[in-house]
Amino acid sequence: MMDWLGELFISTQGWLFDTLVQPLLFAIGLASYAEMGFDGIEFVLLGVVELGTAFLLLRPLEAMWPAEQWAERRAVRVDVLYALLNRLGVIPLAVFLLLAPGFSELEGWMRFHDVIPHQLEDWLPALDHHPLASFLIYLVILDFAEYWRHRLSHTWRWWWALHGIHHSQRQMSFWTDSRNHLLDDLIAGFWFACLSLLIGVPPGHFLGLLIALRLVENLSHTNTRLTFGRIGERLIVGPRYHRWHHALDLPANPRFRYGCNFAILLPVWDILFGTLYLRDDIPPTGIHEKTPAEFAARDAFWAQQKLGLQQFARALFRRNDAPRST
Amino acid sequence: MKPAHLIGSVALACLAASACAETAIVLNSGDENVSLIDTSSYKETGRIPACKEPHHLMATPDDSAVIVACAISNELVFFDPRTGQEQKRVKNISDPYQLGFSPDKKWFVANSLRLDRVDLYKAADFSLVARVPAAKTPSHMAFDKASQYVFVTLQESDEILAIDLKTQQPVWKMSVGPTPAGIYMTPDDKYLLVAIMGADYVEVIDWRARKSVKKITTDKAAHNFLARGDGRHVFVSNRSMKGSISLVDTQTLSEVEQYDVPGGPDDMELRADGKELWATARFARKVQVLDLQQKTVSRSIPVGRSPHGVFFLKHAARQ
Repeated sequence: MMDWLGELFISTQGWLFDTLVQPLLFAIGLASYAEMGFDGIEFVLLGVVELGTAFLLLRPLEAMWPAEQWAERRAVRVDVLYALLNRLGVIPLAVFLLLAPGFSELEGWMRFHDVIPHQLEDWLPALDHHPLASFLIYLVILDFAEYWRHRLSHTWRWWWALHGIHHSQRQMSFWTDSRNHLLDDLIAGFWFACLSLLIGVPPGHFLGLLIALRLVENLSHTNTRLTFGRIGERLIVGPRYHRWHHALDLPANPRFRYGCNFAILLPVWDILFGTLYLRDDIPPTGIHEKTPAEFAARDAFWAQQKLGLQQFARALFRRNDAPRST
Repeated sequence: MKPAHLIGSVALACLAASACAETAIVLNSGDENVSLIDTSSYKETGRIPACKEPHHLMATPDDSAVIVACAISNELVFFDPRTGQEQKRVKNISDPYQLGFSPDKKWFVANSLRLDRVDLYKAADFSLVARVPAAKTPSHMAFDKASQYVFVTLQESDEILAIDLKTQQPVWKMSVGPTPAGIYMTPDDKYLLVAIMGADYVEVIDWRARKSVKKITTDKAAHNFLARGDGRHVFVSNRSMKGSISLVDTQTLSEVEQYDVPGGPDDMELRADGKELWATARFARKVQVLDLQQKTVSRSIPVGRSPHGVFFLKHAARQ
């Protein structure tokens, strides 16, 4: 069965390559990018498989065991659009095209001047021969970096101006995972590219790492009462754990003034850095909108993009403005 | 049978078996590992970790090792060509993609496709002698017989670059067809054959006159070369998903045969008896075995993601 599915996947990838991507690349004089195009199709197909799997597993969970009952689901539509743009590769491709040339130039310059950044395997040579250990260690490092990226996006006002879009959803569902301002996606890409440059994330692990993180992120945004129990919740991020991160009202403790439960995959970071907050009840999600523009941007893609940029500019240039989350 | 005779017979049988059994090494560039294939049974016998993005390989001049270029992990990994087991690693070889030894065995050249550079190393100890800027995307390489020049295809700028190995300086560039990939010096040292991946032909270059003299139509996405070992013919992989391999006569400068090889045939290896051509099918995650007598793919061996380099010790001559 798995062999058959694997063959189906490869032949679909090949068919899309031969009929769509390769002719297009040849026509516009980019045959040199054929391999990258082929890999790009794999990225998109895996995105479809991952999203399909999430839909089949998580949507029934939302229907049968919801954290919140909604009279209608119109507010979810914009999150579906974000998810499709993300998983079908539109946003990742744009981020790649914007960042790759600069990073390639930088890396080329470094190498030409004999600067070869150390990679994880230079410190831990045994990883060269243990792919599973290598995968797990890269996953932990990546998750650690994601914890700090996420925490800073709540702490720095200009960044929160963008990341607040993700939090503005009051009907949080598994689709909400991809609801991000486009500039926030670009910054996340930049963050990952810097990390890659520093430790050399193995390209062969990349898709696996991405899928592992995406699946957990889909699950953690799911509108369900599911919890992993008192111990499980300290081992892996689950829906209740992350719902408190999205809570409409933050816990009163000043320790949580920028938020709580920033971890993406492993709660250990919240435990270590004092940002863990666990309770048995389930809070409503969202942010307190203050202006008509913020209300207008609740469910509309372009309004969210515009609002994010306006808030971003205001946070950068008018330092006395209060953060939106308070 | 006396015990001593029995032991002797078993030992002889094992020796015979090990002489027959040979290991093909296939680089799974998308999986960071190497597939080992028993060339007698055509079965994958193991997959061993290698490095980040192992793309191309090259045997040392004495065939004592196969050197694998690890583009992302900045190293060369040496494998035993008989067993496929790792021998050693040479670190701080920056972004090696395509490798080559000059015919006089003095130079070891590594192209950095991703970072637009050609590195020239002493072949004896892999110490760096010079870094030559080579924008954009230096891909494959060929040498003249006198080892005076290394010729490099520049995929994105549609050019060939000639580097003088004595001065370690680029000496000329010339334009060719779109997205040149493989490059091959004809056995008479007269012409460079350049696989034009962005089209469907091999461009023939009189390199001394720096002039394009002919286009040999092969098939879509002409990509790489491998000599048939008869001093005259060369195989050309045409790397589309539909895929084919052409046989080109380097004397008449024409295609003489073409075989269907699906899945994006890329690097190739030829059995010493010339009866089987193995090609990595880049897009199909397979090694295709082309029976050159029947002129069809006789076996498809599943391997890892994006298989690229392929090697076995008992191969045909390289010209």
